[in-house]
Amino acid sequence: MSRHDVVVVGAGMAGLTAAVRLAEGGATVLVLAKGVGATHLSPATIDVLGYAPDRVDRPLEALAAFAERHPGHPYGVVGAAGVAAAVPWFAERFADGPLAPYAYTGTADENLLLPTAVGVLRPSAVVPETMAGGDLRDGGEVCVVGFRALKDFHPRLAADNLSRHPGVTARGIELDCVPEGRVDVNALGFARAFDDAAFRKDVVARVAGRLHAEERVAFPAVLGIADPHAVWSELQDRLGRPVFEIPTLPPSVPGMRVFATLRERLRRAGSRVVLNNVVTGAEHRGGTVTGVRARVGLRDVVHGADWVVLATGGFASGGVELDSRWAGREVALGLPVAGIPAPGEERFGPAYFGEHPMARAGVAVDADQRPVGADGARVFDNVLVAGATLAGAEPWREKSGEGISLATGHRAAGLILDAAGSAQRSAVAATEG
Amino acid sequence: MARLQADVLIIGGGATGAATAWDAALRGFDVVLVDRADLAEGTSGRFHGLLHSGGRYVVKDRVAAEECVAENAIVRRILPDAVEDTGGLFVTTPDDDPAYGDRFMEGCRAAGLPAEEIPVAEALRMEPRLNPGIQRAFTVPDGAIDVWKSVWSLAAGAAAHGARILTYHKVLDLHVGDGGVTGARVRNELTGEELDIEAGFTLNASGAWAAQIVHMAGIEGIGVIPGKGIMIAMNHRLVNTVVNRCTMPADGDILVPIRTVSAIGTTDIRAADPDEIPVTQQEVDQMLDGGERLVPGLRQARALRVWAGVRPLFQDDRSGPAAADTRDVSRGHAVVDHAERDGVRRLLTMSGGKLTTMRLMAQDLVDAMCRQLGDERPCRTEHERPPGHEDGRHMQIGDRLRRREATLRDEQLICECELIGRSRLEQTMQTRGTLNLDDVRRQLRLGMGPCQGGFCIYRATGILHGVERLDGEEASASLTSFLQERWKGVWPILYGDQLRQARLDDWIFQGLLDVEHLPEAAAVVPDEELSAS
Amino acid sequence: MTAHDHHDVLGTLMRDSLDHCVKCTICETFCPVSNVTPLFPGPKYVGPQAERFRVPADESPDDSLDYCSGCGICTQVCPQGVHIAEINTQARAKLRERTGFKLRDRIIARPDLTGRLGTPAAGLANRTLRSRPLRLVAERVLGIDHRAAVPSFAGRTFQAWAKGRTSPPAQRRVAYFHGCGANWYEPDSGQRTVELLEWLGCQVDVPRGQSCCGLPLQSNGMFGAARKYVRRMARALAPAARQGIDLVGTSTSCTLMLKREAREILGMDEDPDLRVVSDNMYDICEYLVMLHERGELRTDFRPLPLTVTYHAPCQQQGHGVGKPALDLMALVPGLRVIENDATCCGIAGTYGLKREKFDIAMDVGKGLFAQIGDARPDLAVCDSETCRWHIEQATGVKTVHPVEVLHRAAGLS
Repeated sequence: MSRHDVVVVGAGMAGLTAAVRLAEGGATVLVLAKGVGATHLSPATIDVLGYAPDRVDRPLEALAAFAERHPGHPYGVVGAAGVAAAVPWFAERFADGPLAPYAYTGTADENLLLPTAVGVLRPSAVVPETMAGGDLRDGGEVCVVGFRALKDFHPRLAADNLSRHPGVTARGIELDCVPEGRVDVNALGFARAFDDAAFRKDVVARVAGRLHAEERVAFPAVLGIADPHAVWSELQDRLGRPVFEIPTLPPSVPGMRVFATLRERLRRAGSRVVLNNVVTGAEHRGGTVTGVRARVGLRDVVHGADWVVLATGGFASGGVELDSRWAGREVALGLPVAGIPAPGEERFGPAYFGEHPMARAGVAVDADQRPVGADGARVFDNVLVAGATLAGAEPWREKSGEGISLATGHRAAGLILDAAGSAQRSAVAATEG
Repeated sequence: MARLQADVLIIGGGATGAATAWDAALRGFDVVLVDRADLAEGTSGRFHGLLHSGGRYVVKDRVAAEECVAENAIVRRILPDAVEDTGGLFVTTPDDDPAYGDRFMEGCRAAGLPAEEIPVAEALRMEPRLNPGIQRAFTVPDGAIDVWKSVWSLAAGAAAHGARILTYHKVLDLHVGDGGVTGARVRNELTGEELDIEAGFTLNASGAWAAQIVHMAGIEGIGVIPGKGIMIAMNHRLVNTVVNRCTMPADGDILVPIRTVSAIGTTDIRAADPDEIPVTQQEVDQMLDGGERLVPGLRQARALRVWAGVRPLFQDDRSGPAAADTRDVSRGHAVVDHAERDGVRRLLTMSGGKLTTMRLMAQDLVDAMCRQLGDERPCRTEHERPPGHEDGRHMQIGDRLRRREATLRDEQLICECELIGRSRLEQTMQTRGTLNLDDVRRQLRLGMGPCQGGFCIYRATGILHGVERLDGEEASASLTSFLQERWKGVWPILYGDQLRQARLDDWIFQGLLDVEHLPEAAAVVPDEELSAS
Repeated sequence: MTAHDHHDVLGTLMRDSLDHCVKCTICETFCPVSNVTPLFPGPKYVGPQAERFRVPADESPDDSLDYCSGCGICTQVCPQGVHIAEINTQARAKLRERTGFKLRDRIIARPDLTGRLGTPAAGLANRTLRSRPLRLVAERVLGIDHRAAVPSFAGRTFQAWAKGRTSPPAQRRVAYFHGCGANWYEPDSGQRTVELLEWLGCQVDVPRGQSCCGLPLQSNGMFGAARKYVRRMARALAPAARQGIDLVGTSTSCTLMLKREAREILGMDEDPDLRVVSDNMYDICEYLVMLHERGELRTDFRPLPLTVTYHAPCQQQGHGVGKPALDLMALVPGLRVIENDATCCGIAGTYGLKREKFDIAMDVGKGLFAQIGDARPDLAVCDSETCRWHIEQATGVKTVHPVEVLHRAAGLS
């Protein structure tokens, strides 16, 4: 059995955030994951709070009242201060990361309004520099450029809907530049193509002459994977105007940039992600977990740990499941799942955009992110829960997904480092005494 | 008002209506067919896909069994490309009386159904997921039939013989005069235009909606009772042979491998209104329990979608004492002669029946019309193949994979689950000229696979926007209404892997695209669509 | 079946894991092959998607599946627990039933047989393998690319060496699973493994009767023959395992084969010999790190002032144990280890030997080769023999197993 200060379960935004902060704080950390996490599926914008249910312009200010209206919401646990601390921490991780000077910009104080691939203006707080130019709060003229070979981005559809917003004029053009003559290339394929100077030159040549004077240029979020800052800067220079990225359907290139950055930070801090470890339970003495059991291939192994951060995601990632008899379970440690309607009650409603009673189900936690049962009592003292596993939120509607994952992952690490630090201090004090 | 004239007006574009149009057109009649929606959008498009061998009826209903035996062979012959020759098994589960197998075999012999008892071990080798506790197993010539392909072929065949197929044309009123029906007024549901159809004869093939139609001619009390049945499609083929429970027909006792899924069915619940057939939790549980009995572990497998169809059960109090209860009616279907029954001439209603016998039903209906017209023309459908079935080859599940392999590097794959390429999608959009992605779905199976449109709805909308030169508002309406259409079949079965998928789809449509906040109210989804399954 | 059930990952029920696929495309972003060639439509397509269109009775219609190299990365990265690579391997075997087995594949899938034939006449055989004209003939006749790296016959076997010696008795006993690579092609490496294990305080048994584990046959779709090989190998190793002796192997793909793949893919879970072998099988680095975690590993390595690169091969990652070779090399003073950040070198066992796939294999490995080239290392380190031969051929950098590094650090060479 290996031993670690902390085992982090899950390699998405929350798990990687917690792991990096812990490892950089001096802890020995092992990250166990079934596979690559949801960063690859996320637009990679740090959305703190976009709708509550009306559109939110100043998320940090809105958080306290929002949390009050939604008891048990993760933002009630981390508070505005938790968000305010996590956001700059995250942005700093890019500063000398593997993709630097690729950076994040914006603050949790105010939301930008950035176009989506269907042409909606979506509120986001902290975003890649390559997306920030799409802020259309004050309207503007946009030329949306897409590629016929990229089926996950339809520039004319996006432009037509953008133009329906007051103050926005948009049009779409579709280019036939195709990496290596392929007809069906996903976002990553295009990102690799953009890493190539010849491809960029071709794109610029086809776009440059077609632009109106005041137009900014939108591309799908595929502007490079090896050195996105260079690709984006070059396009801005050559086209002589702001250029920005619009997130596409998964796979998400900006999400891969986040993954690459955090994984490299983790590696530099002496830790790593080990895949194909399906955590199936906890070894514990009473309320204290001593290790996690994982299935690796056909074998069961135990990884010893003083602390566990559970960040396996929600229903989408399989961190929480519902069986055909409608019983919920948290799959890794078997924690209680809150918010699942009782047998006979409605779980989902017939209108897609309506209210669904199941929406906020997940693992409930106390003020210190420890999992609690229905009675509010802690299940384990040294397990902290972070990210989409948490009950109480409807992040895809609130536009709060990455905000919650980042803030809860960041704070979980902080709580562990504080506790370990104070334990060490008291140990030192005891020896000295 | 625009007018149309025809020898025969057929009301209903399901399997019966399409087969009737094909039959009548082949006999040289000038045919108009109308349906309030798309072809096979009602009961026909909401069944499990089983081409009955007749085994299900051999003990209970000899005549229906014999009809199935004969029609199964004919349908395989005339619609080969819509039929997969899966074969079928009847199995005695641990909960069933093995002695029923003897009655079953006796019934098969009497009905001329080629059934054979095989060792249980052999059945388990054929279908490794079958309940290992089964006590007996019998093979029968069941098959799987693609209903959309069938109905479109029949309608296309009729059209090739001059029939006019008017989908999205709703009957507003029947014209009555001269002691009978002389035609109907219909409304184009897409444009709102109304149209008068003058017809020498009217055939009511509207299935569970038959009573609503004849009511327009002042006829009451024809006992077509809507009988609701629910079915659940499982994500992949848990079995490759149709598996029936060898017992008196009950709920959740058939598992049909159809295309890429396996459908477990069905229930039998009377519905007051054929347009009000919501799926209940209890029914879902019933199906899953039934499936679990045939294939243990089915509850852990991924359910893809649930739907309800509404059978036109025949129960006519004026048709004589023998017909008092449909369970005891010896025939699966009956032609209601409204001249004899109600004194309304030139109108016949087809009632009851099942998809397997659609051709026979059409023949009986057109024969009855010919008799009344005194214009006997022989039926030709027993041997004639409609377009698309010329080579006589049966459909195979691997066909799409084979076709895709040929265009792998030349064409974008839009619906990944059902392997639909871009050019096929664009062609269909152009031919159909529809803004409704659900019409495209029924033709191509767009969005019918595991992700239920999670990845293809956005792509298809973008393509539709280009092909049909839509504006943003129209395209957004197509997107949101298809999203709603997909949702209505998944929310009652959201557990396990399909809940995982639905949540990822939420992240895509709400988190990433923010479809909810498309400018202005994009699509107004009518209330009845929400409640219908 | 839910992601955590055991039964949907074994044998014929393996395909049930396709139910977990939510189409997220993560596998495609990591697939080394589909990222360099449009000939392969990618793991999501040929795996969980196409599998819904396959039935046992029908012929397999999708020849493009043959371009899957079987590296297994898709399964490793899948966050939903779909056994993509395993589904593909099974489907490929079915495809081969239709397309037939090429003579070439029958030959390269049996390294034990070629080893047995080549060893007695090693000089001639090696000259043949190094002769460009003869390789061109072999390419034309057999379809083995003349540029592909092939091993040399050692002219003697590891087994012959092992037969003549006894390991000094020690408290800890391990049985060395050398397989065919060490036996016929790299007997030196086998010897060094035994010497290192002995230095580390293990008594090393070398079970007789080992040949090939069946992996190349499995990869090439010859499941029937592969099962025979697995059974024979399991029979050779089971007696030691039953005595509670840990089985340790140096070929990371072969240890994975006996640990997991034969049970999963070949559906041999019921074989009692294989079960006990599987339960007690360790890749050598995994094993030594495990000892280290227990505080039972001798670590008085001498300084080794070298720079090495380390590439964890795909199959090593399939063990799901991280990168233990890095942890071990970190114990060696003075050794500078540069971790390669690449997924696959391209060879994937026998894949890159094939004429129609050699260029793909080189394209796949391009990133790795560049990293190694840029690092200008004294040695490149990698756990799998076919990868080592391929990397060495492509980069010109001598490429060794981590055991070689530790052997030097132990002062044994």
